[in-house]
Formats: sequence, C-alpha cells, structure tokens
Amino acid sequence: MSGAFHSSPRRPGSGRRPSAERSPAVPPRFQSLARIANQNTRERSEERQLEGGMEERSSSVKMRWSGDKLRYEDNLDCEEHDQHPPFFMPSYLRGNRHMEKLKRAWEMHIAELEERRDVREGHAGSRKMSGSYRGVAHEVVERAPAGLLSGSHSIAGDDVKTSRGLPSRWSEDDKWVGLEVVGDGSEVRFSGVCKTTDEAASIRTDLPMPQEFGLYYYEVTILSRCKEGLIGIGFSGRKTALNRLPGWETESWAYHGDDGFSFNCSANGKQYGPKFVTLDVIGCGVNFRTGTAFFTKNGIHLGTAFTNLKATQLFPSVGIKKSGEHIRANFGRDKFVFDIDGMMAEERRLIRDQINKTDVSLLHPPDDESTLIQKLVAQYLAHEGYVETSKAFATDVQDRSKSLSKPGSQSESTLFGAEDDVHTVNRQKIRKAILAGDIDKAIKFTDTFYPQVLLDERNKEIYFQLKCRKFVEMMLRYSELQVAATPSTVSNGHTTDDALDNQMELDDQLDREFAKQSQLQHHEGDIDMESSTSSLHKSGLMKSNDYLTAALQYGQELHAEFGGDPRPAVKDQLREVFAIMAYVDPRESIVGSLLDKRGRVGIAERVNGAILVSLGKPSSAALEKLCNQTEAFLDAVASKVGGKAGMVNVREDFLRPQDDGPTWTG
Amino acid sequence: MEQKIAEMKPNKGDINSVIMDYLISEGYPAAAEKFAQETNLFQSDAFDLSSIRERVDIRNAILAGRIEDAIELLNETNTMILDETPLLHFKLLQLQLVEIIRSVLEKNNGKPASAEFRPALEFATNQLAPRAPTDPQYLSALEKTMALMIFDADKMIPEMKELLDLQLRETVAGEVNKAILESQGLKPEARIRELVRARAWAEAQAKPLHLLPANSDIGLDGDNVSAAHDSDAMVTG
Repeated sequence: MSGAFHSSPRRPGSGRRPSAERSPAVPPRFQSLARIANQNTRERSEERQLEGGMEERSSSVKMRWSGDKLRYEDNLDCEEHDQHPPFFMPSYLRGNRHMEKLKRAWEMHIAELEERRDVREGHAGSRKMSGSYRGVAHEVVERAPAGLLSGSHSIAGDDVKTSRGLPSRWSEDDKWVGLEVVGDGSEVRFSGVCKTTDEAASIRTDLPMPQEFGLYYYEVTILSRCKEGLIGIGFSGRKTALNRLPGWETESWAYHGDDGFSFNCSANGKQYGPKFVTLDVIGCGVNFRTGTAFFTKNGIHLGTAFTNLKATQLFPSVGIKKSGEHIRANFGRDKFVFDIDGMMAEERRLIRDQINKTDVSLLHPPDDESTLIQKLVAQYLAHEGYVETSKAFATDVQDRSKSLSKPGSQSESTLFGAEDDVHTVNRQKIRKAILAGDIDKAIKFTDTFYPQVLLDERNKEIYFQLKCRKFVEMMLRYSELQVAATPSTVSNGHTTDDALDNQMELDDQLDREFAKQSQLQHHEGDIDMESSTSSLHKSGLMKSNDYLTAALQYGQELHAEFGGDPRPAVKDQLREVFAIMAYVDPRESIVGSLLDKRGRVGIAERVNGAILVSLGKPSSAALEKLCNQTEAFLDAVASKVGGKAGMVNVREDFLRPQDDGPTWTG
Repeated sequence: MEQKIAEMKPNKGDINSVIMDYLISEGYPAAAEKFAQETNLFQSDAFDLSSIRERVDIRNAILAGRIEDAIELLNETNTMILDETPLLHFKLLQLQLVEIIRSVLEKNNGKPASAEFRPALEFATNQLAPRAPTDPQYLSALEKTMALMIFDADKMIPEMKELLDLQLRETVAGEVNKAILESQGLKPEARIRELVRARAWAEAQAKPLHLLPANSDIGLDGDNVSAAHDSDAMVTG
C-alpha cells in the first residue's frame, strides 16, 4: 500500500483507550465550527471524548477528542497508518482516473485490515457485510494476480512506487518548532516566538500534490491573524527549509497576506493580489498541464502567479510569523469557495477538443477513421460470438457500400473473417445460456464442446464463479417468486399461475435440481436443455419453499466443493453468496448487487475468453485492447509528467453514456 | 506494461453500450436490432429502429448520388432541418450540382460539348447563385464547382478533383446524419470515434516520453502468432 495514505506515520505509544470510555457526541464539523466561535474561551475538559456520525465504516471508526486533537480510533492495528480517517474525494476530482485508483487502493487496504482483525478476534463468520468496498475489492482481486490480498501491494506492479494518496492533513513531523497541528489535522496554530525579522515557521502536508490529477487545489481559511502578522500560503519542495515563510526559500512559492505579494523562490516579491486578513479564504492551485500556479481570494481568481513550474514533488505549505495566528485548510473534504470544479471541467473540455482533433490514420494504416472503426466493431462482434449481429452488421455494411458502388473500392466482405464456424456457434450457445441465467446448461455445453476448459487449472476461478452464480440464480428465482406471489399464496406456500408465467427458463434449472435422477436419462447427443423441463413446472404447483430447499441443498454442495479452499477471495465470496439467504427480498437488500442480472455478463465474458484462449485466440477483442492500451499509456504519461493525461478517464469520458443520447443500458 | 494493459480490462457492458451507440448513431439498423437481442442488455423499445432506417435511407440516397431524393426524404423527416442548417443545405445543393456535372462528364468521356452543361448551368443559376452572396465560403465553393464545366478532366487542379471524388458523398452523408441526430437531441457522433481518437492521442503523448511498450499494435490483425502469445499473458483468472 506504499505507506502513503492520509495520516501521519504511526507514533510509538499513541495509546488507544478502551471503548467503554467513549461517549455519544456531536458530528466533527459542528464541533470544529463551535471551536472557532469559542476561540477565546478555549478551555475544555482534558479528555473530551466524542464519537462521530460517520456515514461509512461506522462500525469500526470512532472519533475522539483529546485536547485540541481529533483522533480516529479504528482498532485496525495497521502497521502503516496511525489512524484511518474516512476517505474523501475533492469535488473537482470526481471521475478523475488517478483518484478512482486511490479510492480502490484505500478501500482494499481497509478491507484487508478488517479481514485481519476478524481473524485475530476470531469472529470471521459473523462479520457484518461491510458495504460497498468489499465489492470493489473483489472486483480488483478478481483481475489481479495472486498474493494481492496478503501482501502490501498496490493495484498494479508499477504503481507501488507512484500510487500516492492526496494531501489530507498537515504533517506532525514536517513542521517548524512552535507550530501546532490541531483538530483533525487541517488546522495549524502558532504559539512560538520569532526572534529575527526574516524568521518564521512553516509546515507542509503529509503528502505532495499528485501530479497525476493534472490540477491540484486547496483552500486556507485565516481563522486568526494578528495586526502585524504575516501569513504565507503556497507550496514547497520536500527539502525546503521551514524556518522562513514559503516563497522566500528556493523551491517554494507563496502568496503573502501582509502585502499581497507573490514570492517565487526569492525574498523579493512581486505585486500580485490584495492583502488578506482574518476570515478570508485563500485558495492555491497548481495546474500540471500548463506548469502554472494561481491563487484565489474568497472565491475570486487572482490570476496566474507563477509559470514554468516543473513536475517535481510539491507540498501544500503555509508559514506563520506571529504567535496566536491560526489557519485551517480544506484539502477537499469540504466544498471549496472557489469554483474549482468549473475550472477542471474547462480543462477537461480543452483536452477533449484536442483529442477530437487527433488523426487516427496511423493506428492501422491505410485505414481511415471510419474504416478502422468498422473493422474494430466487426472484429468485436465476431470475437465475442455475437453471430447474428455479426451477420447483420455485414449486411448493413454491404448495403451501404452498394449504394456508393465506389469503383475499385475494396470489397467490404474482407472485413469479416470466416468466423461463422462451429466454435462461434458453440460460444454463442454458451453465452446465451449464461445470459439467461441457466448456469447448468452453460456448464453442460462447455463441458461437451470444450471438455478441457473448465478443468484447466488456470480456469478454476471461472468454474468457481459459474458454480456461485448458479446459487445466486437459484436464490434470485426464489425471491422473484416470493415477491410475485400475493401474501396469501406465500403464506400457504403456493404460487399463483401469474407468478409462474414469469418464470421463463430459470425454472428449468431449479426443476432439474429436483429431477436430478430423471436428468440421468438424458441422452448424450442432444443437449438441448429445453427437453429436460420437468413436469413440476408444467403442473404449476411448485412451492416456493421447495425452491429455497433446493437452493439450500445446492448451497451445501457448493460449500462441500469449495469450502476447503484456503484463498480468502474464495472464502469471502462464498460467505457473500450464502448471505443472500438471510433476506426476504435480497434484491432490495445490501447484497442486492450480487443478484444483479448484469453479473451474468461478466461471467459469460470470462467463459468466452477462456474458450478463446483454449482455441489459441487472443482473449480480448481489439476494441477492448484499445481501451486498455489507452488507459495504460495515459497512466504512464500521467505518472511521469502529470498534466493533461491525468485529466482523461477512458471509462468516464468515452465508455459510459452520460447526458448524451437515450439511456439504452438495460 | 503488457501486464498492466491486460489488467485494465474494461467492463463488457460498457463496451457493449459503445457498440450499440455506434450501430444506432451511424445507421446499422439490422445489426442494432440483433445486438439488442443477443446481448440481452437492451430493451427493444430503448431505440427507435424506424428512425435509424429513415437516416439510412437518406444516407444511401446521398451515397448513390440521388441528392434530390435525399433532400425530399430529409424534408419528410424534419421540415425545419434544412432551413435551420443553411450550410448543410448549400452543401447538399453543391453536391447535387457536382452530380449533374458528373453525369455529363461520364457520358462524354470527359470531353463534353458545352451545350450539354445547360441543365447544370440552370441548376446553378436557380439554386446556388441566390445563396452565394450570403457567405463568402458559398461563393468560393460555387466558383470551384462551376470550374468543373470548363476544365478538361486531365487539367484539373487537385481541389477540383476532390469535388468529383466519391468521398464527397460520404462526407456530406455524414454531415446530414449528424444534423438529423442533433435535431433529435442526440449526440451527433458515436462515442467510439472519440475512443479511437483518444487511443491515438494517448500514444502521441506517450511516444516522446519513451513510454510506449515494444508492441503497441492495436491487435486488429489478431490471429497471428505474437497476438496469441500476448493473450496467454492476459490470463489472470
């Protein structure tokens, strides 16, 4: 996890209090406001203990005031971090690629710690489902190589060094004497004395501004400034001396409140903006695309202050000169006064414009954009086994080129390889079965057409996913039946004909569970599963409780087959799918996402990929590879030079339909 | 890098929606219909097949050089559209003039008698000339088109030859399609276009920093040995 998140390094002896001492309390934000109001009467009991109204992780995080400091008690026993304040995402970084990555890494980190704690405390089985981040963690784990859960790795190999968090608090260590970090780490107060005129005390944040964001911004509220005071706000390098104000030293840049000057690594400033005093909100932004920095005052942009900034590690930094002066920074947990979201949107628009002017003719010469796209789509359809679409697309394309009847143009039929072979049809059958939720049929087809695929050691995970999905489908079927049935029919255990009308193919699966023996008679050559539909279905007398019993029985089989698997990911998933049984209508419950029918798509894709690999074909279509390559190139560029590559997000910007066009995602 | 590329696999649902968006936007009605069925992810009422077919009919008319038909169909689809986009209207009329000239040129092996251009001249006078003064670019476009009637085919400058290239039909058809989509409140361009441009852009960013992997082939010529080899590295399950 690269030891780089959010909190200061663990300090030895930072003892934790037994939970019995915790008392109910006020949310932290009000507490912090109240403290500002009472600045002059700051007495409070030494051990004022508060518990926060946290939205997430309420089960594990407790907030406690001790003197001026707010601590997040989480009992996670982390070797890297002293505490784990809730993750935050500054508004202007929503949808930012690097930000998403940080969030995933953080969620995995917490999930991992909780996992270990549960093992330690010996109640792994009874652990509460911990909401969204478990799901995300799994998504990552599924794709990542083994060992990810156990070690201190980040998401992808190369990222370990570069994947950093964002500044979240002032550093307890990287500061000059006399400065005190108070509150939750966002406030700094000076109580020392400066002897000479050019002496001052500065502080940096826990982490540098990640250049991968492309744009970084934070704001500082002047809580208290003395008449002769001097506060400088800006940023500096890792090694810049802290006994003077930022801006005066090399590798430091700042805007000073006493004269409104900007200082660019020099004691000689330049006229820049207005002076600032108590209760002013000063913002500081660095644009890694242009290599410039700017400041804002109370939401007004003051213009570019510095240019030609190089992509080095830059830390937000403030410096204070007079005793009693006090500031609070907003690193993005709260809404910013300046419309930085608008600025980021404009930056992204500029880059989108640039992207849209890009010539693609070199990607696959001699194809022009339209031809290349046609080929990509045709290859995707064929690769994925969408046979009917593939044919229809070929017809549409021919139809089009017939109209043009361009003499000497290449025959469009060359776009479409002879994919219409037996494998394509087989893959299509398997996909269809999975998409319909009929996992048995899919497994049967796969075993018949490609007997080696599900036995392959490399595909063990896919086999497991299929088996789990079958359980999910059984529970889904059961819950649909429960909900469809009127209360009276539920109570006497019978379903209505109406409910049965909705059952479709899924009944087959459950019916087969009942009619296992009869299935044995099924003859080898014909694997059309429709014929296995049992009389139970047709009679319409299936009891919903029987469905549950069948699911339970199958669950026991599933557990017998995989319960002994030592991998934590497997254990977790089993626990999760079994948890579905606890809910009357699981679709509306916390585990609802597991039942989402779109989950079938992912499994269908993986089975399809495994078959393709077994046939010696690439597992990804060119279009998918194109997305991956784009992300990988952008990542590489963003982590090396920051800037505009950091502001592009393939998924958010190009893949996901947003406000454009009709919503045709089903 | 290869490993990283493999790990960043996009969500299949996202890709499918990009494909669907393309089939609808660029007018592949049969494929759109089948794709909705085969993916099981799109409700059949989520898009209007007949409106795709309308656009396809207009496009095919333009591609076939039947500009008059296309204009008529376009007016049936949306009576306001040509009034609201005068530049597009002008381009269609210009293309129509090109098509009239083309038919004359083809008839006479590129050396027609001047008299045969009479219909073309009449069309230019009635339809295009009145519009030309409203915008300098109309005037220059009209001049270039008229010159087609004067020059011998082998003495034409490239700019004039472009007018006779069938690619012009494609370009105009594309613009008409965009205009219809926009008039229906839809995104004028399929998302996959920007996706492909982003790929080229990202490569252009990475290249000067020497961050490109050895093999940055887009993988379209898939079944060759190296592609199959790559795919083995991609199996992470």
